[in-house]
Formats: sequence, structure tokens, C-alpha cells
Amino acid sequence: MTASLAELLEARRILLCVGSGGVGKTTTAAALAVEAARRGRRTAVLTVDPSHRLKDALGLSTLSDRPRRVPLGSLGARGAHLDAFLLDVKRTFDDLVVALAATPAQAQAILDNRLYQNLSGSLAGTAEYMAVEQVYRLAAEGDYDLLVVDTPPARHAVDFLDAPRRLANLLDSRAFAILKDPTSILPAAGSRLAHMMLSAVLRGLERFTGLGLVREVGEFIGVIESVTGALRERVRAVGALLTSDETAPILVTAPEPRLVAETAALVRGLAGIGLGIDGIVVNRALPRTLFGGAVADPGVPDGVSPALAARLRRCYTELRTLAARQEATLAPLVASANAPVVAEVPLLAADPGSLADLASLARHLFPEAPARAAPASGLGV
Amino acid sequence: MEGRKLTLRAAHDYDPDVPRLPLGSQRLVVVTGKGGVGKTTVTAALARAAADAGRRVLAVEVGRGSLGTLLGTPQLGGEPTRLAARLAAATIEPEEALRDFVEGVLRFRMLARRLLESTSFQVLAAAAPGLSEFLVLHRLLEWVDARRLGRRAYDLVVVDAPASGHSLPLLAAPRTLGTLARLGPIAEMLAKAERLLADPDATLVCIVTTPEELAVRETVELHRELTERLRLPVAPPIVNAFPPRRFARADIEGLDRLDAALGEHPYLRAARLQLARRGQAETQITALRRALHETPVRLPFVFTAPEEPAGLSALVAELAASAGLAA
Repeated sequence: MTASLAELLEARRILLCVGSGGVGKTTTAAALAVEAARRGRRTAVLTVDPSHRLKDALGLSTLSDRPRRVPLGSLGARGAHLDAFLLDVKRTFDDLVVALAATPAQAQAILDNRLYQNLSGSLAGTAEYMAVEQVYRLAAEGDYDLLVVDTPPARHAVDFLDAPRRLANLLDSRAFAILKDPTSILPAAGSRLAHMMLSAVLRGLERFTGLGLVREVGEFIGVIESVTGALRERVRAVGALLTSDETAPILVTAPEPRLVAETAALVRGLAGIGLGIDGIVVNRALPRTLFGGAVADPGVPDGVSPALAARLRRCYTELRTLAARQEATLAPLVASANAPVVAEVPLLAADPGSLADLASLARHLFPEAPARAAPASGLGV
Repeated sequence: MEGRKLTLRAAHDYDPDVPRLPLGSQRLVVVTGKGGVGKTTVTAALARAAADAGRRVLAVEVGRGSLGTLLGTPQLGGEPTRLAARLAAATIEPEEALRDFVEGVLRFRMLARRLLESTSFQVLAAAAPGLSEFLVLHRLLEWVDARRLGRRAYDLVVVDAPASGHSLPLLAAPRTLGTLARLGPIAEMLAKAERLLADPDATLVCIVTTPEELAVRETVELHRELTERLRLPVAPPIVNAFPPRRFARADIEGLDRLDAALGEHPYLRAARLQLARRGQAETQITALRRALHETPVRLPFVFTAPEEPAGLSALVAELAASAGLAA
């Protein structure tokens, strides 16, 4: 059963915008959020890396946990409620450690561990997890009907969304227990040999690098284990929310050859963590009605000097070439995502930056919408 | 003849208005930038241009991507594959490099595989700071220094490095790891890597971008990190996919008149779109030049796919010209 973009917007609680870098995910998320708010849903948009102009438009000039109310009055939607948040995907694990530790001294012991300092940024996607946690907190405690969530580019989107599971796995793993004391090889079946080898490699690495890895890992696990009970519970709840029916992943993409393989990999990665795409938004498409292969070349308009006529012809022919390439690219891209195209947005002259730009973008996303006063402004200047 | 050519090229060097890629006798070119700006395409074109100019070139990709497809060989391996008279290509898979390293330590493939599959080891690999970066650098250095029949196997190694966020740890690895490992074979290799990367006669780091706001912003940040913090020799940025100039100033008036008369004619829509995108690109390249005080190198937007021979050739010619590579 496939739903239109409008149905997804009205029925779900979380729209996750996923896709490769540079395809307009952030802008699409913002436009979806503006439209949802105009349709009367209390909406929050959580963005990762907005452009300067978009940041200004959403009132996000400073990084903050606090929501910014986006003034939609100028769009003739005075009662509409839209808050904007900046998702901080670089945020460290430190905040969580401080929040979960029983005492400030315990938190400090973790934060001071040299290995923790190396690990906290990379281990099991803790930074991504922290961003997902923000989403969870808003869903659980915030007073919103809909959250529109922008995610980091393609490959990292899976890390981002999979962060709760990976962190939970780590906390539950035998590795966690064994790292605490790597020389004590547990008599349990299966991986005993692996742990003997682990010790051998660890010693080899230590000899090479001069790092006290074994000892430091042990210390690290020792101190962080004190907070794992609370962490485990939280992580599980966050994971459950992301894979529930309330969440709709939307693939944002563009008809560019590089994206075919990237999209296929992203979709596989998402499927691996239980997320299927609900709809595809295609950005930067050249309008087929103007440049598509099925349209006859209208010929140079009358009354044009031969020099200008040649330039116009060249320019038009180039865009037709590009349109043909886009059409050939789109088919395999859509096939690999295994989801319907729910909207096509034309190649725009400039990156949308203002609230008015977002509203006009929404007209391309929801062409069936009643508020269709202004003409499509995609190709205009 | 040769003498005159050299003089001409020297004159080209000193023209402050001509954007130029300062590629001289360097043995290692690292190509980086935001994801999706065309790093791999630029790597392929640069490798081609240098090979066409008579250098023996190895093009390297970190992780699996489209470098092989662009150079006409879909599947690249961990060992260099010969593609043309002076052009070879290879890929470095961090995971494979890790496996090789572990196998080297353990001597038995079976044992190594079991270890690599264990969660414990994966936790450890994530914990050992910079282990995978170290292994990638190690492999690169081997190729830069590789010798065959008493001379260097490659005059130039061009690397399609990971996107900005991930290439920084790679390029910073000699420093970050060097502070941890002070003695032994690893310390020696790191010191060597650091010397090579910092030597402007040996290494050139190229940042590729598109003329779009976010990519330009990331380029400025990356450029600062690479030059100020890591003190690496960084080339002027390469702005890829720049919309070509299609209309003269005098044409604009003619277009305005036509607009009034014809409105929605597809030829006019095409012209308007082209002009608007070109204008946007000019704004962004100006911002980039002002922020870095350097004249970026421009590569044109290619309307046919770069995977097609004609598409890549256009870029090869442009890069050859701006890097002073004579065929």
C-alpha cells in the first residue's frame, strides 16, 4: 500500500529524510515542515547542516538545544506552529555520561580516561547516537504532531539510524566483559580461540605502538560500565521508535549517475536495520515537458540574429542531453529504492534560502495542494 | 623548441590572473573534498593528463568507488592493474589492509579470519586510534617509494581520498599517531609519512568543490585545517561542474526582447536557466576566492556523462592546461 507525500505528511509522526550528500535533503526537510505546519500540524524540523540563508530563515543562527519558533505569518499562515532545531551530530558522548553517572566524580573519572577521549567520538557511533537521542527526546516529551528529521549524508545515515542498536550490542557483547580484563580468557565455548588471538594481537600492537591498550581499555570499560544500565534502556527505546510504523523514511535524491550506486547501498543498509523507504523525492530534475526526449525540438524562435540563434540552440541541446541522461539514470535509481516517486522538484536556478522559497518548493512537492496561487517558479529567475 | 616551451610555461607561472594547478615534480597528489563534488572524476582526469604527458602514474582509490569505471576497468584490485602504457590503478580497502596486517602478525589465515570476525576485535579496531588510517598511509607510502628495475615504479601517485570529514584523520594520522608511537618501525614509518606529506616538492593536496554554497563553505574550512593546522602543501581549490559561458553580455538584451515577445519558449527557458546557474556559480567562486585569497581552477560542467570517453576527455584537457602538463 503506497501513500502519497500528503498522506505521509498528515498521518505519520516522524518523517526521516535520507539520501546522499548534496541532493537537497535539508532544504526538502524544511519545505516539508513548512507545509505540514501550514496544514495545521504542530511541527518541528530537525536539521543537520543548513546553508547560511536557510539557517537565517529558520532562525538557527546559533547552535542551541532550544527550539526556535519559525515565524510563518509572512506566508499567510499565522496560526501555524513550526519549531526548528539544529541537530548536532558532532556532539560528544560527554553529555550523556554526565547525565547518566551517579555522581559528578564518577562522570569525571570517565571523562578523564585517555582511551575514552579517543573512543567517545568514534566508538559505535556515539556521536550519531546522541543526535538520534535528541529526536527521541522530542518525540517523547515535545508537544509535536510531526517531527521532520534531516539526516547526515548517505553512508552515515545508516550509522546514524543504526546507532542505538550498535551501542546496545556493544554494551551486551562479551567483548565488553572481556576487554575489561583481556588476559582472563573465559572458558565458554566458541570464541575462546579468538580471544587468545586477540591477546596476541593486542600485545603485538602494544609493542609496536607503545600504547598501553590493554590496560586502558580495561580501565575505560570499568568506569563506563557503571552507567550502562540506564544507557541500555534508553538505547532500546530510541531504536524501537525509529523502526515503528509512526516513522516514514523518505529518500531524497537527484537524477545523477553517481547516486545510483550510492542509493542502492543506502537502501540495502537501511533494510538491514529494518527501515524501508516510503517514498522518493527527486530533486534537480529538468522538466520533461520542456527538455524530455518525447518532446519535439520547437526550433529557434523567429526574429533572432544568427549568432544568438546558434547560442540558443547549443544551450537548449545541452539541456536536452542532460535531460536524457537524467531519464536514463532515474529508472535504475527508483528501482533500487523499491518505493514510489512521490514528488519531482525541477532544477532550480538558485538554492532555496528564504521561507518564501520553501513555500514555493512545497508547491512542487504537493502539486495537488489547494493553495496553488503562484505559478511554479522553478525555472524562472 | 624545448627551450621556448619552457619559457612560455614559466611566463604562465607568473601570471597572477591565470588559475593554475601548481603540479611540478610532486610524487603524491591527494584529491579530497565534500562528498559528491566529483573527486573521483578529477582524480581520473588528472591521472590521465599526467600519463598523457609522459609520467608513469598510479591512480588510487580509498574504499570502493567509481574510479575503475571512469578509467575503463570496472573492477580494481588491491594490487595495481595496468590500464595503459603509463597508467595503472588500484584500490585500498581499509578492511583488507587490516586483514593483511593481522595475517602478517598471526601468520595463519584461518586464525586471522576468526579474529577479524569477533566482536572483540571490532571493538578494539575502533579503539586503537588511527589504526585504519595508519594502514592506508602505509600502503600509499609503499607505492610512492616502489622501485622497479632500479628506478621508481611511478612518477606520480594520485589518490582519490575519502570525503573531507574522513580525509582529515587520514592526513593528520602521522601527527596524531606520532605522538603516541615514539619508537619502533611504526614510528619510523609515521615520521617518513609526515615528511612526505609536508614536503611541497613531494606532495600536493587538491580540494575539489562545486560552485554551491555548502560545498564552498566546507572547502574553506578544509583548506584552513589543511594549511594552518596540518601545514600541508595545498593547491588552489578546483571548482568542478562550473556552468560554461554560453551567452555574451550583448545577448542579454536580445533575450529580454524575446522574453517579452515569446514568453515560455523552451529555448528561452533553457537560456534563462543557464544564465541563472552561471550567475550563482560566479557568486560562489568569488566568495571562495575572497575567503582563501587564491584563484580557483575551474572545470566545466560536462553535459555528457563523465563515464563516457568524451566527458572525461574534456576534463583531462582542462586539467592538463592548468597544471602545465604538455602532451
